[in-house]
Formats: sequence, C-alpha cells, structure tokens
Amino acid sequence: MTLQKWMKSPKGYVAMAMTAYLVIASIAVFDIKGIIHGLVAVGVAMIVDVLFGLVNRKKRMLPDGAIITGLIVALILSTSASWVVVAATVILAIVSKYVLVSRNKPIFNPAAMGLLLSVLIFGTGESWWGAFGDLPVWMIALLLIGGYAITGRVNKFPQIFSFLGTYFVLLSLMGLFHTGDAGNALRAPFINAVLFCGFFMVTDLPTSPAKTKDQLVFGVLASVVGALVYGLFGGLMYLFIGLLCANLYHFLRTRYTFFL
Amino acid sequence: MAKMDKKWVVLCSTAVAAVYATGYFITETEAVIQPSLQQNQVNTLTNQMSTGSNSETSRTAVTANEVKSTDKVQQTSVYRDGVYEGIGSNRRGSIQVTVTIQKDKITDVEISQFAMHYSEQDVVNMPDEVMNKQSAQVNNVSGATYSTEAFSSAVQDALDQARNT
Repeated sequence: MTLQKWMKSPKGYVAMAMTAYLVIASIAVFDIKGIIHGLVAVGVAMIVDVLFGLVNRKKRMLPDGAIITGLIVALILSTSASWVVVAATVILAIVSKYVLVSRNKPIFNPAAMGLLLSVLIFGTGESWWGAFGDLPVWMIALLLIGGYAITGRVNKFPQIFSFLGTYFVLLSLMGLFHTGDAGNALRAPFINAVLFCGFFMVTDLPTSPAKTKDQLVFGVLASVVGALVYGLFGGLMYLFIGLLCANLYHFLRTRYTFFL
Repeated sequence: MAKMDKKWVVLCSTAVAAVYATGYFITETEAVIQPSLQQNQVNTLTNQMSTGSNSETSRTAVTANEVKSTDKVQQTSVYRDGVYEGIGSNRRGSIQVTVTIQKDKITDVEISQFAMHYSEQDVVNMPDEVMNKQSAQVNNVSGATYSTEAFSSAVQDALDQARNT
C-alpha cells in the first residue's frame, strides 16, 4: 500500500486527525508534555504491537492501528500523568487487542479498555486535553470537522447519530428531573469527551457492526449504559464502560444466535 | 452497505443538535444557579460569623472581638481568628473547604464538600500539607492537577475572607 492510499484509508484519516489534534492542542496550551506523551505512547504501542505480530506470525506487520491507539491514549490522559503511566496504559490497550479476540478481531476497543484499566489500576487522571477540553469552546468545531470526515469515511453515521442523539435525550431528561449532573456533562470539557469518544472510538471498525440496524442498536446501547453510569456514579469512566458494553453486545451478537 | 444520504446526514445532525440545545437550555439554570448558591453559602457563613448566630461562630465572633480590642495585635495580625469556608472550582468540578485560623495560624483544614470528577484520594493529604506549609500553595499531585488547583483556590478563598483589611 502506498502512502497516498494509506492516507485515504480509514486508519489514515484517524491517524492524521489525531496527530493534528495533538499538535494543535499542545501549541494552544503551551505544553510540550503532550507531544512527549504522544511520542512515548506511539513508540510503546508500535513496539508491543510488532512483538505480538511476530509471536502471532502476522502477514501484515504495519502497526498503524497501534499508532492510533497510542495517540488516543495520549490525547485523553492528563499531561500531568507520568510518562510511565502513559506507557503502561498503552501496553494494557495493545495487550487487550491481542488477548481479548474473536475471529482474529479485538472484541473491545483497545484504547477504551486500556484507559478504563488505567483508571482502575493506577487511578490515572483523564483530562481529554487532545479533545480541546481546556481550550475555548469554539475549538469543538475542529472535533466536528475531523469527526464528520472520519464517520463518513467509515460509513458510521447511523451509529454516531444514535449514540449522540440518545445520549443527549437522556441527559436532557436528567436535567429536566434534576437527576445527576447533566449540566456539567453537556458542557466543556465533558461534551468534548463525548464527541471525541463518539467520533473516534465508537466508530472503530473492528469492534463495531457494519449494518445500519446493528449500528443503531450499538450506538443506543453505548449511550444508555454511559449515561446511566454517569447519572448514578459520575466520575470519568462512564464513556468507556458504555462503549465496552456495546462492544461486548456486538461480540455476543455475532457469536451467539440467540442475540439476533 | 450504502452510504447515508447527505440529506439524511444534515437532517439527523440538525435533530441531534436540537436535542443537545434543549438539554443545554434545560440545564442552563442549574449551571447559573450553582455558583450563586455556593456564593450564598459563603456569604451566609460570613454573616453568621459576624452576627454570632451559633455556638461555633459565637466563639469566633468573641475571639474576633477580642482581637479587635487589642490594637497592637490587630496591627500585626494578618488574619482574623475564626472558621472560614472557601470554594474552588474549575471545569471539572468544585471543592469546598473549612479553614480554622487561630492567632494568625492555620490550625485546621477540612474538605467539607468534594464534587470533582476525580477521586477524593487525590487531595486527601492536602489539608495536612496546608497546615505544615501554612499556605494555600500545595504541591501538585501527578495526574490530579485539576483537583489540586481547585483545592488550592478553595483554601485561598477562605484565607482571603479571613484576611485583616
């Protein structure tokens, strides 16, 4: 595959968007640590991915998926976290990609799994700095531009609309009945997190369905679980838990007929 | 699978944006009211202290009067004795602290309300650090910058209220 072809591929789109966000956010917050974390995360992800590829005797050794996982982890973890934690989170993510598999595909979104485990094991702070969580609200437009480009490329509009639509309906109801902290969830930096997670993680091709009907169910499930967890417990893990539950449903549905 | 028609993309995007706008509008009152309530809490506490409406604040008021009665002490002291409540908040939540000051010294710091989206464990040692340093400027805990900032500004808020003017 030539570089030009790769850049037009879904992975190429995501990798370019993530790199652009990393650079823009780092410049905007005057923090070189974001770039350092990005390099650490991508380097570690590539090494671990190639090692697993060698062990599994993979024909395709290009670690482009791992690069994206590394970039997503770096963009979400707080830049004040230690680089060791960033590297450990990436290792957890890549290991989950190769250990929790079905029919040679990862069951769970690797970045979401790594980040969830990171919070549980290391108590890592997440700032979603790469989703412009600390920057002016207008920068959300950059998320939408990149998000729409990628969603169109991977043909996942039904999934993203069902995910965001259901999530906003549930939060509006929470706001209406004064349950949970809906006001925060609908504003920066949490709205940035929802858009970032929706456009760049929920739409992940290997861990989500292709058919329109399945996409709708997947999006609704991810948002219902996420909103429920947020409403009941708050915190920062709700988006990952929602997405991983939808991943699990997708795996069970494709594996066992009674889920059809 | 066929690509979603552009018209449907626009229509669905508009619908999602409309739902979001509804949610935003519904919660706007909450978002506006919350800081005002917090401000009111601080004002109430300050007023209670000045009027001495409960035993704790009576003690504070008496102590404060004692301090006021000694001109020499008032000139040299930075803070008024008493119990002060401060709030620090950022985009990721808020922290409320209660700071006790006696003879220009921070003698007690308690986290009275923790509403950050992070673990309270991140800031659990910070009250001791404030008392040891006698300052609101605590060391940043790796990975807990936002909680540290909110805690530090909450203590500073309380100290600002206690400051002799």
